[in-house]
Amino acid sequence: MSFDVALTYRAGQGARECAIRSAARLVAVTGPSGIGKTSLLNCIAGLHRPLSGHVRIGGETLFDSAAGIDLPPERRRAGYVFQDLRLFPHRTVSANLAYGEQAEPGWMTRAEALEFLGIAHLARRFPATLSGGEAKRVAIGRALLAAPRFLLLDEPLTSLDAPRAEEILRLIERIRDELGLPTLLVSHAAAEVERLAGEVVMLD
Amino acid sequence: MTAWPTAAEWGIVALSLKVSVLAVALTVPVSYALAWLLARRRFPGRILLDAAVHLPLVLPPVVTGWVLLLLFGRTGPLGHWLEEATGLVLVFRWTGAALAAAVMALPLMVRAMRLSIEAVDRRLVGAARTLGATPWRAFLTITLPLSLPGVLAGTVLGFARSLGEFGATITFASNIPGQTRTLPLAIYTGLQVPGEEAAVTRLAIISVVLSVAALLASEWLVRQSHGRRAHVL
Amino acid sequence: MILAAASLQEALEAEADVWAWQGHPRPTMSFAASSALARQVTSGAPADLFLSADEEWMDTLEKAGALKSGTRRDLLTNSIVLIAPQESAAAVDLARPESLGSGPLAMADPAAVPAGKYGKAALQRLGLWQAVAARIVPAENVRAAQALVESGEAPLGIVYATDAAASEKVRILARFPEDSHPPIRYPVAILAASDNPEAEAFEQFLASKKGQAIFARFGFGIAK
Repeated sequence: MSFDVALTYRAGQGARECAIRSAARLVAVTGPSGIGKTSLLNCIAGLHRPLSGHVRIGGETLFDSAAGIDLPPERRRAGYVFQDLRLFPHRTVSANLAYGEQAEPGWMTRAEALEFLGIAHLARRFPATLSGGEAKRVAIGRALLAAPRFLLLDEPLTSLDAPRAEEILRLIERIRDELGLPTLLVSHAAAEVERLAGEVVMLD
Repeated sequence: MTAWPTAAEWGIVALSLKVSVLAVALTVPVSYALAWLLARRRFPGRILLDAAVHLPLVLPPVVTGWVLLLLFGRTGPLGHWLEEATGLVLVFRWTGAALAAAVMALPLMVRAMRLSIEAVDRRLVGAARTLGATPWRAFLTITLPLSLPGVLAGTVLGFARSLGEFGATITFASNIPGQTRTLPLAIYTGLQVPGEEAAVTRLAIISVVLSVAALLASEWLVRQSHGRRAHVL
Repeated sequence: MILAAASLQEALEAEADVWAWQGHPRPTMSFAASSALARQVTSGAPADLFLSADEEWMDTLEKAGALKSGTRRDLLTNSIVLIAPQESAAAVDLARPESLGSGPLAMADPAAVPAGKYGKAALQRLGLWQAVAARIVPAENVRAAQALVESGEAPLGIVYATDAAASEKVRILARFPEDSHPPIRYPVAILAASDNPEAEAFEQFLASKKGQAIFARFGFGIAK
């Protein structure tokens, strides 16, 4: 079971409920915008406190209101690629990538990640100077280099033109197939969801 | 009238700078801590803290000096304790002048630093946390560096304010040549005695030059901060 | 409008009370160090009467042509004393510098204010200046110096005998001998810029028997 999540959480004006129980490698969460998909990811990452419920990923309990378990974000090992990327503007691409870097045996090295994502040539640049597609790949690289237990991708293809979007799409497919990380993907675009997801959860 | 300041006058400038450097050095960490509390934390009494921090800005400086005297005078609760515990006496000493200057500069510094901290995108701190940073590490590597230009601007402004501090200094630390007779006090003393016009003019010019330099530096630092503000969406 | 040395505050207020009770308009009065007041006059302050705590500042104004000729006269005398806070158990021997302790000594600014100048002269004449010069706390005026002793910030102070008498929070440790300093004289004069007829009348009142009696009540001597 990769994902065992059942949460009641505050989103916007009211409270929402969501349950995800799946053994699929990549689960897509979809629904109209404003419905609380990002809030859900924030709850799973530990950035937002749910009202009640539990979060178990890959067998590990990150949150359980009944048992009083609530791991802080830095202990949850979530690889979170934000919709607004959130690259650190005062640090180079290289420093951004290194921020959460873990040298875990068996996980990809820095060189491999740069190769995988095609961003080696950007090392000394500052985020403000990157294009949308480049920045996105740096954000994904930063998350991957922290040797996460699972991935959270929030609308990874927005504001990308078709060729870039296709590149990222293929990247995500490779991550899904080659790295074997449980991945939760939030997207409102049906096409992406179709292509990538082993299972789809609809929020309404 | 000789245009160039005498050795004694340079001594006064040196004392002023010494007092202001100590005042600011003490106040920077305190100001930052207060600024951070007010910018990032909700707690009961927050409004009162905010008001208390701003008091020296709006109270007549003489009143602030008088309150300092009540607290830190040799017979005051804090002053007495300080003397018993460390032998340190603040009244009549340049350290007392520094305390008066620090208290007067505090509100300006807190305001500038608070604006700067509020401008740091909290979402970046969240991102750092998911990458494994403890709250302290996230503060040191994200909030602090990004708020730095505002901190520097506030520090320079506080320094300028300290240089000009008069009312609280003369009321609390008195007007002792060589210890607490800073630039503004020396100008005031010179004005009391007919015949000191030349010295007063020289000191006043120095005062203006220092203030203008500090304001320009502060402005420049604020401009610098606008370079690194935006982050990629 | 009367500008008067700080040490005259209580006495002049009493004089003004009697003057007003007699049916005259009560004068406005401003008390400060004579040096500060002299500066105000030379800068054109609109006042009628000036009472200084020493001849020097009156001389300065006279030379500057700020006085109405023929109106200057010596009014009062005073003496200076060494004081300590009321609760202090200190004892002092003016013949021994060590008995002056090691703490701050508050006095009016010896560079310009009369009370300070007299004090410094006395300390020098008695051979005590070396021992205390580095610890002097120069105050705005003699009352500010006394306030420092009253509050306990300074363990010793030099003020006029009349100031010490007016305060319950200090006690006199020693009186400086008359010959240790230039004679303390308070001259009074009408200012050249004055056009108030009350000024001359008030000055006469201050010099009259009744006026003198009020000053004597506060401890001032009468100048011959």
